[in-house]
This record gives sequence, C-alpha cells and structure tokens, in this order.
Amino acid sequence: MSTAYLLENISFSYDVAPVLTIDRFEIAAGEIVALVGPNGSGKTTLLKQLAFVERPDSGTISFFGERSISANLIAFRRRVGFLLQHPYLFHTSVLSNVAWPLRIRGVSVRTANEMAVAALDRVGLSGFAHRRAGSLSGGETQRVALARALVIEPEVLLLDEPANNLDRESRRRTEEVVSQLNREHGRTVVFTTHNLSTWANLAHRIVNLHQGRMISGQSENVFDGELREGGTMVNTGRLSLRFTSPQPAGSRITVDPEKLTLLKTPPDPSCPNTFQGRIVGLSVSGDHIRIEVDAGEKFLVLVNQPAWDTLSHGFGDRVWLIVDEGSLTILP
Amino acid sequence: MGYFIDSFRAALELIFRFDPDVYFIVWTSIKVSLVAAFGAAAVGVPIGILIALNRFRGKQAVLMILNTLMALPTVVVGLIFYGFLSRRGILGDLGLLFTPTGIILGLFALAVPIVVNLTIAAIQGLDPRFFLTCRSLGATPAQQAWMILKEARFGVTAAVVMAFGRVVSEVGIAMMLGGNIRGFTRTMTTAIALETSKGEFELGLALGLVLLTVAFAVNGALFILQMRNS
Repeated sequence: MSTAYLLENISFSYDVAPVLTIDRFEIAAGEIVALVGPNGSGKTTLLKQLAFVERPDSGTISFFGERSISANLIAFRRRVGFLLQHPYLFHTSVLSNVAWPLRIRGVSVRTANEMAVAALDRVGLSGFAHRRAGSLSGGETQRVALARALVIEPEVLLLDEPANNLDRESRRRTEEVVSQLNREHGRTVVFTTHNLSTWANLAHRIVNLHQGRMISGQSENVFDGELREGGTMVNTGRLSLRFTSPQPAGSRITVDPEKLTLLKTPPDPSCPNTFQGRIVGLSVSGDHIRIEVDAGEKFLVLVNQPAWDTLSHGFGDRVWLIVDEGSLTILP
Repeated sequence: MGYFIDSFRAALELIFRFDPDVYFIVWTSIKVSLVAAFGAAAVGVPIGILIALNRFRGKQAVLMILNTLMALPTVVVGLIFYGFLSRRGILGDLGLLFTPTGIILGLFALAVPIVVNLTIAAIQGLDPRFFLTCRSLGATPAQQAWMILKEARFGVTAAVVMAFGRVVSEVGIAMMLGGNIRGFTRTMTTAIALETSKGEFELGLALGLVLLTVAFAVNGALFILQMRNS
C-alpha cells in the first residue's frame, strides 16, 4: 500500500508556543484515520497542514511521495477535499458553490454544472441546486460543502468534526458518503473528533492528540504532572495520585475513563486515590454515558446505561471518584 | 422670505423649462465625476485588494496615509495638480489645465484613496472562513481576488458610489483646474459659487437643487445597497 502522507519533524506555532509537534506520522493511501483529542489538542491545526492551507514552521510533508514546497501547494490543494467544521458557502446559489472548484480548474460551465448536480444528488440534496446558499439550514450547509469537496473527486478527504451540530439525516448521509468513498473508490479519509465514540467505527486507525503531540492510549483524562516521592506519587498541581510501586520517569499521566469508579457515598477512608467531586457534564455517547466530574481536575468517566441507572445521579450532584491504579498510565 | 420663495420658483422654472445652460452644467458635472469615480474604481479596487490580502512592512503606515488622504482638502489637490498642469509644470505641455480632463485628473486623485480605503474595509469585513475556503478549494490568487469581488460586491460598489458622491460635490478642484469656463468646464458647484456672487441667485439655487437631487440619489443607492447586503 502506498503512502498518502508522510510528516516528519513537523513543528507549527501561531505565536510563540508550538501548537503542533510531530516527529513522524504516516497515513497509508486508502486508510481512514480518526484524529481524536480534546479541544485545543491540535487536531484542526494538523488537518490544515494535511490540506496544505497552512505550512509548518519546520519539517517536511510528503504527499503521495512528493515533497510539498511553495511551488506545488495549489496543485496539492486541488487533490484534497477539505470540509471545515463550520463550512462557508459563497453568497450565490447552491449550484454555483458546488461548481466553483471545477470552474477554477478550467472545466466548462455545462460540465461543471452537470457534475455539481450529480454531487448534490450524492449527498441527498437533489433539487437544491437553485436555492440560495444563505437560505440553508446548518445540516444542509454541511452537505452542500461536502458535495463541493467531493465534486473534484479528491484523492484525500479531510473532515473537521463532521459529526458536530448535525441533524440525524445529515450525519447518516455524511457517514454513508465517506464510507462509500473509501470502500468503493479507495480514497484516503482523515477526520477529527473530540468524541471517541462518534464515527470511531468508521476509522481503520485512531490517532490521539494531546497539546499538539501524538500520544499512545486515549486522549481524554490526560494530565501534566511530575513524579515525586521516589516515583510513587504524581502531582498534577491540583491533586496527587499514588502508586504502590515506583513508576518510570514521565511528565504526563492518563486515566482510562472506563476504569474509573463513581460512588454516591464516601468509600472506606483507607481506599487510595479517592476524590470528592461534582458532576459538571452529562451526555449520551453511543452505548455509554459520558460523565464529567470536577474533582480538582476534570475527569471524564464512561459508564454503561445499567451502571448509570444504578448510580441514579444527576447534573450538579456530589460524587466520590475512585481512581484505580490500573487505570493510570505514565507517559514520557 | 419672499425673496427666497421667488428665487425658488424661478429656479424650478429653469429646471423644468430645460434651460440648456443649466443642463450643460449638470451634464459636465456628472460626466467628469463619473469618469473620475470609475477610473478610481479601476485603479483603487485592485490596490485595495492587494493591500488587504498581503502582509508587508509598513502596511500600518500605508493605511494611516490612506486614511489621511480621505480627508484631503480639495483645494490642496487642486493646487498640486495646478502645479503639474500649468505651463511651467511637468505636465504643462499636455495642455490639460482648464479642461474637463484636467478636472477629471484632480477628481480621480481625490477619489482613489476613498475607493482603496473602503475596498480594504469591505474585504476585511469578509468572514475569515471565506479565505480558508478559497485556499482549500485550490484557488489561485487571481481566482481568489475575483471571488472576493463577488463576495464583497456590496462593499466595493458602496466604495465607488461614495467616491462619486464626494467628487460631484467638491468645488476646489473644479474651480482651480477647470477655470469655470462657460460651456466648457463649468460644473454645478463652480457655477453655484459664481452665479451667487454675481447676484444670480435663481440659477445658483436651481443648480443647488439638482446637486441635492444627485446627492439624494447617491445616498439612496447606498441605502438600498446596505439593505440588500444586510
């Protein structure tokens, strides 16, 4: 399998502090990759690098074996479809919006319009061609933007938080189109999500990002901290987590959200790594309930529906959180 | 008050009797102003796009100078161009002083900073996602500039309309570079000044009414543009 992207020694910053630092990242042609991480982890920044709309401060990006340089940026952009999280449609008709990428590639008006109508049909918006772009709903706007990205038949499709703020129909259509594009045409797809459960079943590979770096393990519940007391305790600045044996050196710690225990009543005082907190966020994600608990640090706890029913708690309630040592991983 | 009402009545008579003198002056004014405004658009809009889209050293200074030029006194423009176009000036051989072309040159210089500034403002007012979208779709700089013109069309048109409004109502340039020659370079504003000083209040008032109508039409067009944009 050939390589669609190869990123080496990438560093990028908007100001002084780097927002993206990648030693090496390879995406195979035909692969579906999910970039997962909390807000501000660098997912969108990485996607913009892959779309060639932003250039790294240092390092190299190779696209299907060819290194990106200033001279070939526009040519590379034309081989990539990029769907923004909040897409922008030009203040013209839906048809003009979808046909524009073809028009700027020198395709005749007639052919461009025919291809645009076909692309609209593909995303379930046939009959929308002559509507004004400004009159569409959020979901329709997203699908028109998807049609605009697909109309050029890109070798790579990049989607920024495609599952966000979409109605069920738009989400289903988008998933279907992406899946088909990969399955039937072998196109490479990279998408970002801050929610591991959403779209995760589509991805061949999940890449976790935290503070602009790729990390192993999950990207939620990642805390910066320093090891103390001979490696048996890590302090995040807001709370301390204890280990029974010394841990290898590291500067970050991850806590598996599925291995945390929530209690309604205080546990045995001898139980280590027990923290009192409040539920500050609740949402349903697939088969799981996502519970955000503020216990000094903000923890994400994933529980299944029966466990949540047993707990019978609600937003703002006080809970006790047990962080089992087995849920902790020290990262370099 | 009676004097004013009588003059007003006489002025309306001049307008509705289609007095050739009045309409030649009106036509001269509108002609030189339209040519100057469209000329300024042809030059100022591309400059505005270039300045808005590019980062360069001294950009803030350029923007500050352009802002200052928007408030340029018309007599100063007239004075400078008089220096260029008079017999001893560097463009004296062209014989443009006291001609409609001479007026157009001065009005053009007055209008360009207005068009450039307002074009920059219109582009800076575009949604930042617009630029990202153009780039990600693979537009060349020229294709992006064309799309900017389409997306910022209301703002850019407003810039040209504003420039026309400014040049049609100015008097200093038309007086100094046109010389207020009857049947040749006399414009509405210079005629109003001259006729009033001669005691021909009716003619001055008639031209004033036409000028007010033009100003009203220009502002009306701007208002409609703003309504459509919002």
